[in-house]
Amino acid sequence: MKRICFFLLMLGLLSGCAAPAAQSEPAQAQFFSMDTVMSVRVYDGPKEDAVQAARQAVEELDGLLSRTNPDSQLSALNAHAGDGSPVALDGRVSELLTFAKSISQLLPGDFDITIAPVMDAWGFTTDQRQVPDPQTLAGALALVDSDKLNMDETASTARLEAAGMEVDLGAVAKGYAAGQAAAAIRETGATSALLDLGGNVTALGRKADGSAWQVGVKDPQDTAQTLCILSMEDQTASTSGGYERYFEEDGVVYHHIIDPETGYPADSGLLSVTVVSADHTLADALSTALFVAGEEEALDFWRSRTDFELVLCTSDGRVVVTQGLEEGMRPTGEDRGYTYEIVRR
Amino acid sequence: MRLSAADRRRPTLGDGLVVLVVAAAALLLLAALRPKGTDSLTATITLDGQVVAQYQLAELSQPVSLTLEQAPYPLTIQIEADGVSILHSACPSQDCVRTGRITQTGQQIICLPNRLVVSLTGAGDLEFDAVTG
Repeated sequence: MKRICFFLLMLGLLSGCAAPAAQSEPAQAQFFSMDTVMSVRVYDGPKEDAVQAARQAVEELDGLLSRTNPDSQLSALNAHAGDGSPVALDGRVSELLTFAKSISQLLPGDFDITIAPVMDAWGFTTDQRQVPDPQTLAGALALVDSDKLNMDETASTARLEAAGMEVDLGAVAKGYAAGQAAAAIRETGATSALLDLGGNVTALGRKADGSAWQVGVKDPQDTAQTLCILSMEDQTASTSGGYERYFEEDGVVYHHIIDPETGYPADSGLLSVTVVSADHTLADALSTALFVAGEEEALDFWRSRTDFELVLCTSDGRVVVTQGLEEGMRPTGEDRGYTYEIVRR
Repeated sequence: MRLSAADRRRPTLGDGLVVLVVAAAALLLLAALRPKGTDSLTATITLDGQVVAQYQLAELSQPVSLTLEQAPYPLTIQIEADGVSILHSACPSQDCVRTGRITQTGQQIICLPNRLVVSLTGAGDLEFDAVTG
């Protein structure tokens, strides 16, 4: 009898063990917005409603922030550059412009949303990519100065001081959109979701089995592979790298992350920068700014703050990970020759 | 009275049988409850959100060249048993051609000017939920 009881008990226990909490099928959508591909997956709550709410939040922002849509508020701001008239802005546009200016002040020379004329000269915004002649480049570079973007937050207006100046929010818009989409998802009651806004991954809550989301960091030298896998919860991971958009001319590769100081593609010794933060917009902005800044300045800036963590891939094959990501980080590029370093405060 | 270790009963044949039955039951349960996945990769090609073609790669006995003349910038996709690549594209950026061949589940080729996405799904589990980059 004892033996039978033991058997039944073991069977009961095993049936519990053998039935893992399966990740329920998500509601999902993939769509083009902000000149990139985006996907939203929601795993709990009113899934379909949450997906649609997130998509609507992103597309609404795209309508306000697009530089190529002549009806957007950003286009209005650019069109009025130099004419002295302040342009009325939606509170979200005003908030994002103010934030972007603050990053330019924190990391001078590494980040500037008035870089648009230089991006145009290189053809990265029009897809007719080319090396600009020095005169064209110098003219475009002279227009880059976010100090000449005047904000009136109380009135929610902005003005560009010089004719020809243009703002491009490509380095911050996806991060801001992630924050707005995450809020829209939460408002529906959903708590578990994954957003991929053009390679910026936002993890909401945890998986259905209670574990953290596992997010791979793309290997900039072999984009089919990953450098490492990170554990994330209620954070965005944003990555910038020269491999994303580039062209080759006369045997030289030119990528799309332009150094606002030189007007040329940043050459800081980094192949990619991944920033992980609970502040989605900060993650997006810093991935670009710190790619331009380089390893030393990026780590100094990290040491001065506590609201983000970094994965830096250097051109000499090192993957530098800051200590806040150490727990739950799995290296995956050792067989491709990468070495891993944990940086502590 | 407590028995000394030497006096305790040794496991009998019956005990061993119970252990074997429990182990077999556990294996059967694991097999039955394991999420079902496909063994083969599926390539799905979408143009501006609409699925225009889908292929089970394992079923291809020879490579297929699919030309999408209806795309804003016509392009040719090479679908093979072990992967998918963009052979030619009239798009200005050529990012899709430079992506090279995708061979694993979860990978995508994206052509932004064409609003084209080629996705691979199925064939095994990924060790991550998403990729940044």
